[in-house]
Amino acid sequence: MKQNTGKRCPSRPAILFLLAALILASCAPKAAEPTPQPSGAAAPAGDVYAGLNLIVPNKYDPPIDMTSVTTVNATVKFLNGDDIHNNIWTRTYRDVLGINLKYQWVVDGSMYEQKLGLSVNSGEIPDMFVVGPSQLLAYQEAGLLADLTSIYAAEASKNTRFILDQDPVALKSATINGKLWGIPLTDGSVTSASVLWVRQDWLDKLNIPAPKTMADVLEISRRFTEDDPDGNGVDDTIGLAATKGIWGAIAGLQGFFNGYHAYPGIWFDQGGKLVYGSVQPEMRSALLALQDMYAKGQLDREFGVKDINQVTETIAKGKCGMEFGVWWNPYHPLNLSQQNDPEAYWAAYPIPSIDDTPARSQYSSAIGSFLVVRAGYEHPEALIRMVNFWTDNIVLTQDDNIRRIFLGDINAPDVVLYKYTPVVLWAPNGTIETGRKVREALAKHDPSGLDLDAQWRYRIIQAYFEQGVKEAWVEVATNGPNGSVPILEGVLGDRGMFNRFYGTPTPAMAAKMPTLETMEAEMITKVIMGEPIEKFDQFVEEWYRLGGTEIVDEVNLWYSKNK
Amino acid sequence: MAKKSVQALMRPSHLPLILLGAAMTVYGLTMALVGSWFSNQAMRGLITAGAYRARMAAFDAAAGIVAGLLFCALFIWCAVSARGGVRVAFAIGAVASLAPVLSARAEELLFSRLGLPTMNAGSVLAGAVTTLLFALPMVILFILLASGPGIPAGCRWLSLLSIFIVLATAFFPIYVTVLAFLIKPGDPAVGRMIEVSSQVIKLRYILPGLSFLLLAGISARFARRGPAA
Repeated sequence: MKQNTGKRCPSRPAILFLLAALILASCAPKAAEPTPQPSGAAAPAGDVYAGLNLIVPNKYDPPIDMTSVTTVNATVKFLNGDDIHNNIWTRTYRDVLGINLKYQWVVDGSMYEQKLGLSVNSGEIPDMFVVGPSQLLAYQEAGLLADLTSIYAAEASKNTRFILDQDPVALKSATINGKLWGIPLTDGSVTSASVLWVRQDWLDKLNIPAPKTMADVLEISRRFTEDDPDGNGVDDTIGLAATKGIWGAIAGLQGFFNGYHAYPGIWFDQGGKLVYGSVQPEMRSALLALQDMYAKGQLDREFGVKDINQVTETIAKGKCGMEFGVWWNPYHPLNLSQQNDPEAYWAAYPIPSIDDTPARSQYSSAIGSFLVVRAGYEHPEALIRMVNFWTDNIVLTQDDNIRRIFLGDINAPDVVLYKYTPVVLWAPNGTIETGRKVREALAKHDPSGLDLDAQWRYRIIQAYFEQGVKEAWVEVATNGPNGSVPILEGVLGDRGMFNRFYGTPTPAMAAKMPTLETMEAEMITKVIMGEPIEKFDQFVEEWYRLGGTEIVDEVNLWYSKNK
Repeated sequence: MAKKSVQALMRPSHLPLILLGAAMTVYGLTMALVGSWFSNQAMRGLITAGAYRARMAAFDAAAGIVAGLLFCALFIWCAVSARGGVRVAFAIGAVASLAPVLSARAEELLFSRLGLPTMNAGSVLAGAVTTLLFALPMVILFILLASGPGIPAGCRWLSLLSIFIVLATAFFPIYVTVLAFLIKPGDPAVGRMIEVSSQVIKLRYILPGLSFLLLAGISARFARRGPAA
């Protein structure tokens, strides 16, 4: 019989192991190399458009000149050799569209409105520029703007119309006396709607069912305050976050009021007339509920002096269990909860109702600025062509190369290329569409049809569910099933209350609303902190007396023309 | 110079090693299947993320204790049935039994009891510690088997392969997670790695378990064909 005597070198496998380890170490993956610094990143050289399937139906030949003005904030970074006057966008407008875009001046965003006013007053009006709602009205009335109605009808591409039609008030908000005077810079309006965020790990720990009504919210608030959900044996938690600003995207109380069918700060239709939500009787019961919560220690005793940063700190320290905020709050500040507690995570719920009538989450138009063309400019259609270039090639594209060249490269994440052009229109329903596609892919376990952004979101959710990476909860809580984005779909349906006044501020509104808003915030803070509810009734009387009546009349005059 | 004789890994029987391999494989399979079941439900929206977490945590805790105790007993049995370096290898391998037990409790232990900073990556850190607790003893075990002079050649080669298997299944998912969340968030290439990583992580116990089964098979065959000199 053959004898096994260990003839081979006994350490051969071990030597091979060491060799292999050395080889693997020398092949350390490039992916782990440090991200290139923006300052070291090179501007695209040569024919950057080679191989790109760009849609450009018309190019000016010979090229035309277009003057403009723009903003560059201190945080904007450029690729090597680039600046605001010479970058991928100015070169593209010149080389692809035949438009020589020259900026007359460039200022920080905070100075733009003032500087533009000076330019216009001195007669140095750029050919194309961005204005706010008030300026749109003022400049149109002064005859400084080109009528874009027929040009838009003739030149706007299918994608441009698709983007602008997604928001039903987009074009209306740029329309004065039946004519189009600007191209609205669109974004997601419904994304400003409130959802209820709850520390789900606390709910589970205390064995509390998910909130379905505002009564549930009040009970959860009580339990989170009294039952030591963080388990440290100290009475140091509160039920609901609030800030001194009362309203806002983070810890804004408008969602709480919506649960009582009150809609502070927005205009909604009541019997064919627009009414202002802050002075409606539904505000009363919501205020009383908040007053009661404050008295019982369920709101921060010092909320009246705490700003967003301080509330963020409270959330990060894990001392607060609920907040009314917007869909993206898990990215900030709710993600900070995990700093002290890796088990912490928040779940989104639709705004619950105080009664059997479903609550509606209020939201307003996201359109705050418009691209306009100077009256008398020889090529007003050039603006529409620039918009078409954006909508046809950039915002809806699935092409990674196009995104890399025109929006930004993943290797230089702080160089945001679209900040170099004023012509930026986001798909109003983009967030909802992306979320829907991600959820469909998750259900099928197949991300193949998703664009890069959606694919990444899919992968992060996958990492949460299949690898136990709990830090990925932020994506699960937003774009995942039962996340905040699906709630927005409901808001876009019959669970939303849209601010029906989206026009430029009326004269009385411009003059008196800031004072009335200050009065309102003071009244709400005082009532919550214990002053009698009659303060609200006094406020309503004052509101109408100090200009509210006039504003209501003007708003309804506008409404009669813009229904 | 006297040559050391080659012997089977266990005597008189390879049953402890077979049971250890089977237990590890079954535990890995069960975790993968149950995890897939819950994650499928959650990804389809049939259960909430909260329900998914609660169910996984409960299952992980229960299965972890059972598996940990079973692994420990079988590792000790393997050590008792072996001699020399093999005995040392399995004795060290017994430390890996702590990993399943710790799996559901690592975060509480590390961050609540020991008070370590989470650095916003609590689950990743806790997962890395648990993985290290499993991978390190297992790698030492396989290194000892791969370099043991009195071990059948087939077992040594398989042990060498197993070192890479343990390292790859243990650290590739961690590597991908660090890339995805810290170094290259948004990179499509890393996105595809997450897909692979999700599958690799399921093999973390299955492949080492299968290695033990194969080792038992090779060693038993060796024992049948040629008794130790």
